[in-house]
Amino acid sequence: MDMMQKLTILADSAKYDAACTSSGGDRAGGVGLGSTLAPGCCHTFSADGRCVSLLKVLMTNDCIYDCKYCVNRRSSEVPRTTFTPEELAELTIQFYRRNYIEGLFLSSGVLQTPDYTMERMIEVLELLRYRHNFWGYIHAKTIPGSSPELVHRLGLLADRLSVNIELPSEDSLKQLAPSKTRQAILKPMGLIAGGLQQNKQELALYRNTPKFAVAGQATQMIIGATPETDFHIIRLAQGLYNRYELKRVFYSAYIPVVEDTLLPSVDTKPPLLREHRLYQADFLMRQYHFNADEILSEETPNFNPYLDPKCNWAIHNMHRFPVDVNRASQAELLRVPGVGPKSAQRIVAARRTGRLGMAELKRIGVVLKRAQYFIITADNPTGPKVGKETTIRALIDPKVYAAGVEQLSLFGPQGPGGLALPQAQDVKNATEAAEEAVLCMASNL
Amino acid sequence: MHGKQPLAQPANVVFLYDGSFEGFLCCVYHTVYSRQIPLAIYTPENTQPTLFEERSITTDSAQAQKVRASIPAKISPAALEMVETVFLSCLAEKELALLKFLLLGYQQGSKILHMLGHPDVAPVLKAEQHLQGERHLLLGFVRFSDYGGVLAATITPKNFILPFLASHFTARFSQEDFLIYDKTHKAALIYQNGQTRLAPLEEIEFPDVSETETEYRKLWKQFYHTIAIEARYNPKCRITHIPKRYWQNMTELAELL
Repeated sequence: MDMMQKLTILADSAKYDAACTSSGGDRAGGVGLGSTLAPGCCHTFSADGRCVSLLKVLMTNDCIYDCKYCVNRRSSEVPRTTFTPEELAELTIQFYRRNYIEGLFLSSGVLQTPDYTMERMIEVLELLRYRHNFWGYIHAKTIPGSSPELVHRLGLLADRLSVNIELPSEDSLKQLAPSKTRQAILKPMGLIAGGLQQNKQELALYRNTPKFAVAGQATQMIIGATPETDFHIIRLAQGLYNRYELKRVFYSAYIPVVEDTLLPSVDTKPPLLREHRLYQADFLMRQYHFNADEILSEETPNFNPYLDPKCNWAIHNMHRFPVDVNRASQAELLRVPGVGPKSAQRIVAARRTGRLGMAELKRIGVVLKRAQYFIITADNPTGPKVGKETTIRALIDPKVYAAGVEQLSLFGPQGPGGLALPQAQDVKNATEAAEEAVLCMASNL
Repeated sequence: MHGKQPLAQPANVVFLYDGSFEGFLCCVYHTVYSRQIPLAIYTPENTQPTLFEERSITTDSAQAQKVRASIPAKISPAALEMVETVFLSCLAEKELALLKFLLLGYQQGSKILHMLGHPDVAPVLKAEQHLQGERHLLLGFVRFSDYGGVLAATITPKNFILPFLASHFTARFSQEDFLIYDKTHKAALIYQNGQTRLAPLEEIEFPDVSETETEYRKLWKQFYHTIAIEARYNPKCRITHIPKRYWQNMTELAELL
């Protein structure tokens, strides 16, 4: 099989892995080939609008496991192939020199045994690091069930390690990925977290200690193949961030590739709006100091499709607004819809030089379209004077119209304490649904 | 203006200068000493017929040096860096915007960089962000081709970002020889035998590409098309992240134009 065919097969099988980030490590170049940038760097964007930063491939798509949702499961009849370590190293180097990529994302099917597979992956990374003197970004996926010693060796070669949690609950795992247990997934995650901790201490003592996964660890899970609620998922993510020092949790809308009675039918559309809401909630937890319990609750366990989670929080906490931009703390400002971490910081800096009005806020970069309903400014000392309906209408997420009623209907009906939002079958189009949702939410406040 | 006398008043006059940074500093000098803020500042390439008095500002190193030294002394070193950076940006009428920024700075001192909402400060900061943003995009979007061991790329950015790309690429490709040609600003960044230089370059002709080069281009394009998920096809989202004006120089996108 020639290189073109191999690359096609092994990139095609890796494309459902969500993470393609190259962030978290800052390594100046100068020795050999390559460097890394702390904020990461996107090299192109594919037709689905996703960032392409790394050469994302599987080492092999041969796999001994039979996970139901996976294209490469043992029972699936697809052409199988494997990169030799030399081939893959050469391809990485040549792509890197042309500035096509920021580095390599290496994952793999399980060849013979987890340990054997890991050893082959380590071989590729050793070739790159020590033979080709390559110091670009490497993200390696650890194989569930491999030995701790191999995880450690992989971590010394890679910038970021990840273990896929695959599905949001033990039950779902049992059903769809019977060869993987929650324990087999969480154990290496714990090992990596421990390795990171220990490495930090050793580096403090001995400057020349080899660095272990400088860009930390990440994970991903599939959304929409199994019945977990959004609340369950974000609480799980929060737990992972706290317990395993994860840098990122990725959510991947389930795309049916296989026919199976246990899975949604093959013509199901991926729940992209839901995935989007999960990322928004994830951001609120990582950068806006929100707690999962503030975003959703047992009573309303699923996202409001019409509002982003921050706006949704704001309209249900109107007693905390309006906020005076000339006095409020940075943390309070961060809770205002239309104010992000950057503009909150800028507001605090700018107001030392004079009081801020609407015009100043606009120049600073605050999104007044949303923020105006929640703030007191120098030129508007009494705050907004509009009805609930107007406020909510202004906050409706434009993505709703693009998503259409089909996507909206994917959101579960709200629980007893939540809102009975209009479902797809009740309305003709998304615009109508949004307007009904506005009235419904306003009357419930 | 905070009870202080303005340094200069708007006047019906247009400045003409040679387009260099020194020349611009002389425009600042002239404004302060004539106490007149011009309506516009033009260069020979960028001039419009006007009914107002046109005044040619000759570039004088001593005057320029005086103004340059005054910025860190009376405002802050960061303000000088800001002015130098924004002078390379694509901000429309950047000279006038920078002049107003400096006049305000001479009055307000170092706090000017925190006056983020001020009408004379915000446009300058925005232009700097735009330039830095384009620089960051280009770090990823530059596409090199291998011509017998030398890497070469063409870019067409709006801002003159070549000076800001140098440190990244020389560190990353320290053992290589490379050239980045900025077609918009007719200049090239050349890195050879560990030495970097920035030179004006009217035109450049690249040799024919080798078979290996063609092969890697094909592999890359194949990877690019394979990695997209059809069920998530979203061309609008792609355009948001990678505007079409960058496509012409990118191996995987040029042929989709």
